Amino acid sequence: MPTREEVLEKLKNGVIQYDEDACKEGANEAIAIGLDANEAIFEGLVAGMEEVGRLFEAQEYFVPEILMCADALYAGLDILKPHCKQMDLGVKGAVVIGTVEGDVHDIGKNLVKMMFDVAGFTVYDLGRDVPLDQFVEEQLRTDSELVCLSAMMTTSMIGMPKVIEKIKARNPNVMIMIGGAPTSKELADKWGADGYAEDASNALKEAIKMVTFLKNLRAEKEAEKKV
Amino acid sequence: MNSKERVLNLFKKEPIDRIPCFSGMGNVTEEGINRLGYKFAGIHLDAKQMADTAASTSKLFGYECAVVPVDLCLEAEAMGCVINVYPHAEGILYPTIKEKLIHNEDEMEISIPVDVAKRGRIPLVKEAIGMLKADIGNDTAIGTYVLGPFTLAGQIMELNDLLKLSFKKPAKVSALLDKLADVIIATAKELESAGPDYITVREMGATSDVLSPRVFKSMILPPLQKIIKEIKVPTVLHICGKTNDIVTFMMEANPTAISVEQKNDVAETRRKLGPDALIFGNFDPYNVLVAGTEELVRDTMRKCIDNGVSAVWPGCDIWPTVPPANFNAMMDEVKKYGGKK
Repeated sequence: MPTREEVLEKLKNGVIQYDEDACKEGANEAIAIGLDANEAIFEGLVAGMEEVGRLFEAQEYFVPEILMCADALYAGLDILKPHCKQMDLGVKGAVVIGTVEGDVHDIGKNLVKMMFDVAGFTVYDLGRDVPLDQFVEEQLRTDSELVCLSAMMTTSMIGMPKVIEKIKARNPNVMIMIGGAPTSKELADKWGADGYAEDASNALKEAIKMVTFLKNLRAEKEAEKKV
Repeated sequence: MNSKERVLNLFKKEPIDRIPCFSGMGNVTEEGINRLGYKFAGIHLDAKQMADTAASTSKLFGYECAVVPVDLCLEAEAMGCVINVYPHAEGILYPTIKEKLIHNEDEMEISIPVDVAKRGRIPLVKEAIGMLKADIGNDTAIGTYVLGPFTLAGQIMELNDLLKLSFKKPAKVSALLDKLADVIIATAKELESAGPDYITVREMGATSDVLSPRVFKSMILPPLQKIIKEIKVPTVLHICGKTNDIVTFMMEANPTAISVEQKNDVAETRRKLGPDALIFGNFDPYNVLVAGTEELVRDTMRKCIDNGVSAVWPGCDIWPTVPPANFNAMMDEVKKYGGKK
């Protein structure tokens, strides 16, 4: 029987070395030795993805490698998911995500989606080239507390403020994250978005940050209860 | 010296009175479209509307070029992809590809129709170039553009698959890019026969934000060299994103000029490529020209010139909702400041 450390290492390295088979093997071993599935995901797969983010920043990895790492992560995640206990983040944990109308690029969007899958969110993926009103309708229908809008092209980004305005008008507590090459911190602020990510690696980091933020939110609520 | 002489002399590296302000990419404006009474979705499908709209930027603002087409789907459409022009969109949406040609790795061995350059809207764009020449071609440089092979590949197949295969099966991707180079050459030659003054090759997808410089050199550069060699008029190679690590490879493709966007450190690029290289760039067409103040526009123009651009170019298509006051400020500042360098 492999040890806990060996299994986590296998999962982590499986992601970093885009080795789907190693991730599958590591996931099965995790279950076999009775490792908590959430721990295997966060300490193994996500730890690997964080390292991938660093390698991307250091320009050792580029987008093709990240995509292959994501495939490896999903290979492990698919096996571990059914064994996860629902993580209580203090929020319902639902997100509406999609690429805005006029844009057919979805790589950044899919990477962010992956992080939400990892965190146990219910993900309503609208796909790409999504008419703007559909974001508003889907948020209302699902009562999701997060909406993520992605655009790769300047030419399709312009629809974003309209969606943000419509959603915030109906429910000011919805958090909105925008992403894609043409977006910026200034635009996110100006349009009233809560987060932004300009590229795939940043999207990954932002999504990790958002998940962490939600965890902290829960911790704060817990603390308030005690007071 | 009129703007056409200025632009052509620049390409020939002959004396100019000041740095020109033009582009090789789309630069139609809402102001122009509205004055003509057209709709954005319609200008892609009608040669006269396309030419009129393209000419309007030079007529209204003194922009030193006119460029057709306006969208990026020409080659993919000629190869058989269906495009969506979003006819019912309220705002401005650029056409996109509805249906890919290649759905999986096994479909990558495509055959190219011999008459590909006569298909889709290539004849329409050719006609629009002719109209532009007749309308303003004496005083204004007329440009057109084709896609780079990797960008075109990303349109006819899933970008996700293309990127992964560029790593896993580079020979297969190279074979596809070589075929696409033939499509692009055929398109460029057809458009060239209408008499444009320069052709831009837009290889937006192959930026080093996405692909490593190593992959750029081994996989993207050879088909780019093949394409640019076949074009007789001056060429500009445009690549978006962080391009500092690949500007020397861009020069190896042997275009007349290179164009880079705002993420490129142009001062560094100038140092790297020397005083004679034609480097066009590199302001942010949305955050500066559309969303910025007139003051930001003027500051940015001066900064581009100070950093050593040979011509002030936007980093991408000019977004049509550009405020006329900002457009005028851009032209005014380049005219005032561009002669001092």
